[in-house]
Amino acid sequence: MRRSRNRALLAILAALVLLFGACSSRDDDSASSGGDGGGGEDGAEVEGIDTSECASDPTAEIEGDTIKIVSSYPQSGLTAAFAEIARGWTAYFEKVNAEGGVTIGDRTFQLEYEDLDDEYNPQQTASNIEELVGTDGEGAFAVFSVVGTANNINIRDFLGDLCVPDLFAATGSVAWGNPDYPWLTGSTLSPYSLESQAFVQYLEENQPGAKVGMLRQADEFGETYEESFRNAIEGTDIELVEVQEYPVGSDEVSSQVTALAGSGADAFFNGGTLLACPSALTAQQQEGWDVPTWVSGTCISKTLTGIAGAAADGVISMTNLKDPQNPKYDDDPDMVEFQEVVAEYASDFKGRELDPENAIIGYGYTQAELFVMAMEEAEAPTRLAIMDSVRNMEDVSTGLMLDGVSVTNGPEDNFLGETVQLVQYDAAEVHFDEIGELIDFEGQTAELTPEELING
Amino acid sequence: MDLFVSFILNGIGNGAIYASVALALVLIFRTTGLLNLAQGEMALFSTYFAWWLTSSFGMSIFLAIPVTIVASMAGGAAIERTLIRPVYGPGKSQLNVLIVMLGMFLALNALAQLLFSDQAEPMPKPWPTNSSAGDPTGSSQIVEVLGQRISWATIALAIALVVECVVLYVLFQRTKLGLKLRAVANNTESARLVGINSSAMLMLGWALSAGLGAFAGTLAASARGSVNPGLMAIILVYAFSAAALGGFDSPVGAVVGGMVVAIAEALTIGYVDALSGIELVVPFGIILLVLLVRPQGLFGRREVERV
Repeated sequence: MRRSRNRALLAILAALVLLFGACSSRDDDSASSGGDGGGGEDGAEVEGIDTSECASDPTAEIEGDTIKIVSSYPQSGLTAAFAEIARGWTAYFEKVNAEGGVTIGDRTFQLEYEDLDDEYNPQQTASNIEELVGTDGEGAFAVFSVVGTANNINIRDFLGDLCVPDLFAATGSVAWGNPDYPWLTGSTLSPYSLESQAFVQYLEENQPGAKVGMLRQADEFGETYEESFRNAIEGTDIELVEVQEYPVGSDEVSSQVTALAGSGADAFFNGGTLLACPSALTAQQQEGWDVPTWVSGTCISKTLTGIAGAAADGVISMTNLKDPQNPKYDDDPDMVEFQEVVAEYASDFKGRELDPENAIIGYGYTQAELFVMAMEEAEAPTRLAIMDSVRNMEDVSTGLMLDGVSVTNGPEDNFLGETVQLVQYDAAEVHFDEIGELIDFEGQTAELTPEELING
Repeated sequence: MDLFVSFILNGIGNGAIYASVALALVLIFRTTGLLNLAQGEMALFSTYFAWWLTSSFGMSIFLAIPVTIVASMAGGAAIERTLIRPVYGPGKSQLNVLIVMLGMFLALNALAQLLFSDQAEPMPKPWPTNSSAGDPTGSSQIVEVLGQRISWATIALAIALVVECVVLYVLFQRTKLGLKLRAVANNTESARLVGINSSAMLMLGWALSAGLGAFAGTLAASARGSVNPGLMAIILVYAFSAAALGGFDSPVGAVVGGMVVAIAEALTIGYVDALSGIELVVPFGIILLVLLVRPQGLFGRREVERV
């Protein structure tokens, strides 16, 4: 009796640990690598996209007068805040529909969209997208703004085989530069490796002999920061003296920060994402480790800086969009228009209240605007033509992009957000200020990033 | 040396949180013989409730915490009466109550998100803070002792743990009520025969545990800076491991277990680079070893009576 009680306890404990493990290993890369090498062989009609293996016909024209766009992103659970991205893009789509629709060639279409909740779970993303797109690709024209690196990696084979576009993936992974997956493009979120590069350049100007301590997530996202940082400091006097990892899903990183502070580092690269980021800043403040600090571009949201409060004062990061929290843009006509559109078409979005100061709404809005511009540039209302148009944008700007920022990509360069602006947080004023000039990394991401990170 | 002390302090801060939740687990286990899987999410619900009091009514956190504790005790009693009692007792399968608790685990988390917020929300701190413009909750003040910086968050968590231990000790060892609780836990039938209202005692056990969880959850959120839907799931795993290490029927074990797990983790992060990112291996390895040698945990009693 007693032994069985203990066994039962152990069994329950083991079950809990397993449950916890399952919940916290969200970024597991369960995608098979490879794919059908689209090497731009003879017979391909578009540079960089081989259509000979397509399971559906990418040159078929859209029937009827609607374009069906589908997406999958977290709408409940810990990462539900990412749903605000979709508030931005649905508002823009609604605006376009109200103004008559999208004109491609000589035909005009209304945009129809549908999305499902995946709670940030890559397996759920895959089943959502299969359900929405259909195994024959008949369910939707394109997939748009799926949130999460592992989530997009989990659907790229399926969509690649079908030749269904997966557009403006809402993550800054460098894997979106992989030429084996021509049907997948990233978004204006800058590739993570450029953050390392930008911080190194900042230190070269302001603290040339810096000894840097880095906190990073124990996954590919963190690896991208570390490897590209090591890449960036080659040939400089800057050293990476200590790297601390924290497990995905953890938001308690005080001991990691203690170790970094104790390593003698005099600059801090905080690669923490979600709640680990403000938690690291708070721990840094408690350690009294007052050094120049970079925070991940995934961490400049109002929610996260609000949690860190004064501990976030003076941290540096980068962006390429206008920040609605910054009073500098209160009277900016593009910002005013954006706020009006969102208030009109998406004031109530999935039961969530509108926070006009939330910058990621503007990010979603910008991706939709780029997408519509690319569609209007396309030669024909087919998947192949629109994919070709999205893959070949030249010097395209939208209203919410900072002045001087534009998007250029092409067959050799699949990265969009390569012009960046350093920003520094002012805790008293509760917003980021722009510091210095724009930094132009146009076309350089591939050479600034270790190749194995891009091509897996 | 300073660095070593810093790691220990980090461990104590976290250990106090794990130990508090482990105490709540032990409390229910001792009075009802149940392992409450929903303990963490009950505490999460309470913590969001406390945040809601401070943010919607401008209530001071010092008032919000006692209000939340009282409300949570009522909630805990209500849960025992309406959800647990119908499925738990002599002659009923243990599995039923397990499934009910798993259901509560999921339902309470979802309910907290629906009723209060599904985002991380800044949590005010019930200890000395430096407030500055643009800082919603202020940052914990730092005390310097012998050149060592100690955050008020760590001090407050440690004090809270001591207070919890004293209150529980006095309740169980020095009051008639505690005697009745222990009697029911030891032998329900005999306790009934001598006139103890055992069902009231079971309800009280749940109430106490819910109140303790609410206290621990609120302080954990304040220390971490925010309350968020995932706050307690991770803490509960640590609390379970603390209780397993110390023994599920031992309050002392819960405290020692929580501290051992948290300090082992902090030191692993600090000194074992090879386990970077998987430092959890160490505390769980310790637990496995202890359970192999002493299945009842460090402080558990060998005979676990059936309630």
